[in-house]
Amino acid sequence: MIRGTDSTKFFSPTEPVGRRWARTGCIGITPTMATSAGMSGTQNESGAIGAQSSQTAGTSARLATPDLLDPENLDPAHPDPVDHRPPLILGAPTFHAITEAVARPLERKPTRGWWICFLISLSMLGLLGVSIGWLFWEGIGVWGLNNPVGWAFDITNFVFWVGIGHAGTLISAILFLFRQKWRTSINRSAEAMTIFAVMCALIFPGIHIGRPWVAYWMFPIPNQMGMWPQFRSPLMWDVFAVSIYGSVSALFWFVGLVPDLATMRDRSTGIKRKIFGALALGWRGSVRHWHHYEKAYLILAGLAAPLVLSVHSIVSMDFATSQLPGWHTTIFPPYFVAGAIFSGFAMVTTLMVITRKVFGMEQIVTMRHFDYMAKIMLLTGMMVGYAYSLEFFIAWFSGSAYELFTFKNRAFGPYAWAYWTMVSCNVLSPQLFWFKKVRGSLVWLFVLSIFINIGMWFERFVIIVTSLHRDFLPSSWFYFKPTLFDITTMIGSFGLFFTMFCLFVRFLPIVATAEVKTVLPQATAHVVEAPTVQHDPEGSSAVDGRLGLAPGGAA
Amino acid sequence: MTDHAHSSHSRPAVLLASSLWLPREHSWRRWPLIGLVLAVVGLGASLAYGAASPAARPQLWHSWLVGALFVLSIALGGLFFVLIHHSTQAGWSVVVRRIGENAMATIPFLALLFVPLIFGMGDLFPWSHADAVAKDPLLLHKQAYLNRTFFLIRTLAFFAIWSGLALRLNSLSRLQDRTGDHDLTRRMRKMSAPGLILFALSVTFFAFDWVMSLDPHWYSTIFGVYFYAGAVMAFFAFLALVAIGQRDLLARVLNAEHLHDIGKLLFAFLVFWAYMAFSQFLLIWYANLPEETGFFAQRLAGSWRPVSVALTLGHFIVPFFFLLPRTVKRNPKALGIAAVWLLAMHALDLYWLVMPSLHVGGITLSWLDVATLVGSCGVFLAAFGWSLGRQALVPLRDPRLPESITFENV
Amino acid sequence: MALLRPSLPPGESFGVLAEFASPTELYHACEGVRDAGYTRWDAHTPFPVHGLDRAMGIKPSRLPWVVLVMAVGGALAGIGLQGWVSTTAYPLVISGKPFFSWPAFIPVTFELSVLGGALGAVFGMFAMNQLPTLYHPLFSKASFERATDDGFFLSIESWDPKFDSDRTVELLRRLGAKEVELVSS
Repeated sequence: MIRGTDSTKFFSPTEPVGRRWARTGCIGITPTMATSAGMSGTQNESGAIGAQSSQTAGTSARLATPDLLDPENLDPAHPDPVDHRPPLILGAPTFHAITEAVARPLERKPTRGWWICFLISLSMLGLLGVSIGWLFWEGIGVWGLNNPVGWAFDITNFVFWVGIGHAGTLISAILFLFRQKWRTSINRSAEAMTIFAVMCALIFPGIHIGRPWVAYWMFPIPNQMGMWPQFRSPLMWDVFAVSIYGSVSALFWFVGLVPDLATMRDRSTGIKRKIFGALALGWRGSVRHWHHYEKAYLILAGLAAPLVLSVHSIVSMDFATSQLPGWHTTIFPPYFVAGAIFSGFAMVTTLMVITRKVFGMEQIVTMRHFDYMAKIMLLTGMMVGYAYSLEFFIAWFSGSAYELFTFKNRAFGPYAWAYWTMVSCNVLSPQLFWFKKVRGSLVWLFVLSIFINIGMWFERFVIIVTSLHRDFLPSSWFYFKPTLFDITTMIGSFGLFFTMFCLFVRFLPIVATAEVKTVLPQATAHVVEAPTVQHDPEGSSAVDGRLGLAPGGAA
Repeated sequence: MTDHAHSSHSRPAVLLASSLWLPREHSWRRWPLIGLVLAVVGLGASLAYGAASPAARPQLWHSWLVGALFVLSIALGGLFFVLIHHSTQAGWSVVVRRIGENAMATIPFLALLFVPLIFGMGDLFPWSHADAVAKDPLLLHKQAYLNRTFFLIRTLAFFAIWSGLALRLNSLSRLQDRTGDHDLTRRMRKMSAPGLILFALSVTFFAFDWVMSLDPHWYSTIFGVYFYAGAVMAFFAFLALVAIGQRDLLARVLNAEHLHDIGKLLFAFLVFWAYMAFSQFLLIWYANLPEETGFFAQRLAGSWRPVSVALTLGHFIVPFFFLLPRTVKRNPKALGIAAVWLLAMHALDLYWLVMPSLHVGGITLSWLDVATLVGSCGVFLAAFGWSLGRQALVPLRDPRLPESITFENV
Repeated sequence: MALLRPSLPPGESFGVLAEFASPTELYHACEGVRDAGYTRWDAHTPFPVHGLDRAMGIKPSRLPWVVLVMAVGGALAGIGLQGWVSTTAYPLVISGKPFFSWPAFIPVTFELSVLGGALGAVFGMFAMNQLPTLYHPLFSKASFERATDDGFFLSIESWDPKFDSDRTVELLRRLGAKEVELVSS
């Protein structure tokens, strides 16, 4: 039941999905695409541009790989003559087919694959429970912390998880603002990932304070001691930033879910219909509702975009406002944001490679989506590389002996192994994404995304531990080693994340059905035609002439 | 907004390619001439004054640097816009891409503005004096990087990179006007991704060299990004102005939808600049380390303080609320006002970066500030105007031109 | 109960429900109904169809104003809370910084302003759409279940001054409706 065969019948490709993909690197090209390309508004019968495209079809065929150049592969919704935009959704499905493909997996009994994933995750979650229970019983001493390394795995995990969440918001908000329609296939699961990652992140500040029963002191709640939080501390900013980030992400997610919950309501019966019905709030697809809804969605995207930048900037300020060499550097806010997006996209890639396979969603989450995500990883990977190098350069340029020592120690000291793991995973390994073959291979994508996840975890570890472990006073130098409970708590947090994700893919529509329908060609109600540019002799001669516009003398 | 529903059966209108050129008698055809006059008058008078009175030279070179940085940053913003357009395979921006291409075409000419500055290095950069370096252990440490030869080699390399990218992308784009070959789009895209890497590194180190090293003790890792943010914002302000000016010429091509998008990008980079500026300020203010905090301590004391406040209000808070409504970004007049205002604020930002290293105690205005700024803008205007008249106003046979013309904001 | 039922005037008949084959046909039908002068009517689509709200003649949403007010309120609350706590309620000297250290208060102020804006956007939208409304007369029609799948519907309420069951049905048929049915209240 794990295979994609169930959904393929809704899309009716001419041969099994797997084999097609193996042959072309892209799935499900059907003859219907060619005919629907005629719907486009930008094609024109007589104009010179139309003539040009047929003329250059030959030129382009030589140049690029066949999957993208197949004329059948033009995106009917956005016909792009330069052949770099294959369709977002493959197989030209009907609206109903999309609904089916998304809703079916939820209406089946859980597959064995799901049970395996869920039980493994659940046992890891149990490990988290045991680790935290022991921590509360014994105290912070069960971790390997000691002066001067007072922060290690706990904050590393915190920053790691907050970072993972950022790709979800980036996909749902920033790509929305940039009108990147490919986001529609992955935004729902990426947003879910954001919420679960923030949940994982929030555990760590909660448990590392040593006296978790007074964790509420972090909030501005009037109390009998007349005591208030200290708002000049970046750790207080964190409390607000991360909890508000979690809340706004959840709101954004829920707003996006409402129309799909209504779809589920209208397909189901009995108690499920009542539950979905209550959650869907009585949504009836009214255009008067959509009107406010779309405005709200746009505004939420506009708010979430700066929010996501601010959250990791504030997390970076936990370190950068200090005076510690290795922590205090002004590039930290944008550098942390870039790293967060980088790690988040790696996690989305890891999860989507598995999910699309398990749920047979190859037509909705296509290789094009992975291609774009790989490019974003390449870009953000180079951004963190830029920050690593600048930190080094400025450490030297500053002329401060302490700065220089910290960075030399980072790259060549006792934690050199961690530093070079970070550099090779984060800067070197994504360079493979320059190659289209790598971006088009699920195996490569999966392996590299795991590398990046590892590298980004190490980045936080390197920043935190290598800056702390060799204090200004050499007598207090210390080599931090994680204890068993450091490691089990970290593994346990993955358990929480994957347990939540398993429950999500089981009970909620994992693709934003309503949004995916909008990128299908038949969703366009009216078409605006572009004027044709006619290359009159004067216009062509003007191209050749200097300031010319001399009559005659066509190209 | 009721003109919206087009019947899908009506024949689309036809545009003549020759109508997408700057008309022969158009007033913008005089820009090269006007620009040259401004350049000769502004820069000539400044140079003559500097030659006559050696005491005025530090002021001359600092003012000159502000003017040169102002126009160069707009051109660099244009280069970035074109690079990002190609590497993201953008559709909407095709009709305004030529403005970016014309702006980046000025870079080789703007390099000329930096030639006289070579003679002003002694007045600009404390590290260029051997005796000062010998007395200062920090400068001695930095000598490997901050020395005249390496500095000039780097500057030459930066201009070579930018000019190379700009000229190559321009010529490919013009070639496509003639041949309509779609493969050129692909070639420009292939160039742009590595081009962006080169751009990021060169702009960072250019900002370190020409601005940050004015105070050679001070350092900030974010400084390159800060300079970049201001430059790109200034370019979008410039883009908005030229696009508004071209609206009549390109009536059926350029419309409120494009202005709306330019307005959004202007707004985004205005916020991005503020984000960079605040990050830099907050971290340095908070840690309050002696080796860093001097930069802000100086700018928050004496008569520099009101300048810093004006920059905060004028470069961020006021334009943020002004540009927030959708109607403002779609209204040519309102967007134009915002663009002019933000260009002025960008000049103030550069002045605020450069001048305190000359006028340590407080702001001191000089007529040279105005003359060099006007002269530099003259050079830019002349080169931009020349490039504008040399090619069509839009990429005539760009395969995504139809998409760009019909694009609508959702 | 307001949560369960929409606020509709009394009456036996809710109106008519017409189904159209595609977004394009619904688009033209909406223009037709708008031009015929109806006011109490609606269209129902499984996803937002670009331009349909304009074809129906819906005025721009006032939601941005709600968001603006909420966001500014959030910011004021943020700076107010921090200022009051740090100067009056619990003043502490921290690393030699002034009690009212405005740069340090910006992050929380910003976050609270985003929270205010987001709450305003979501709950403002629900309020303007009068959601949740768990029951609606249209839900009684089995065909209407497809409004969240692949059906494109247009409904005209019987309380519309121009409503006349025969002529309204006739108009919808003329505009290309696949199916027209009467809906009871």
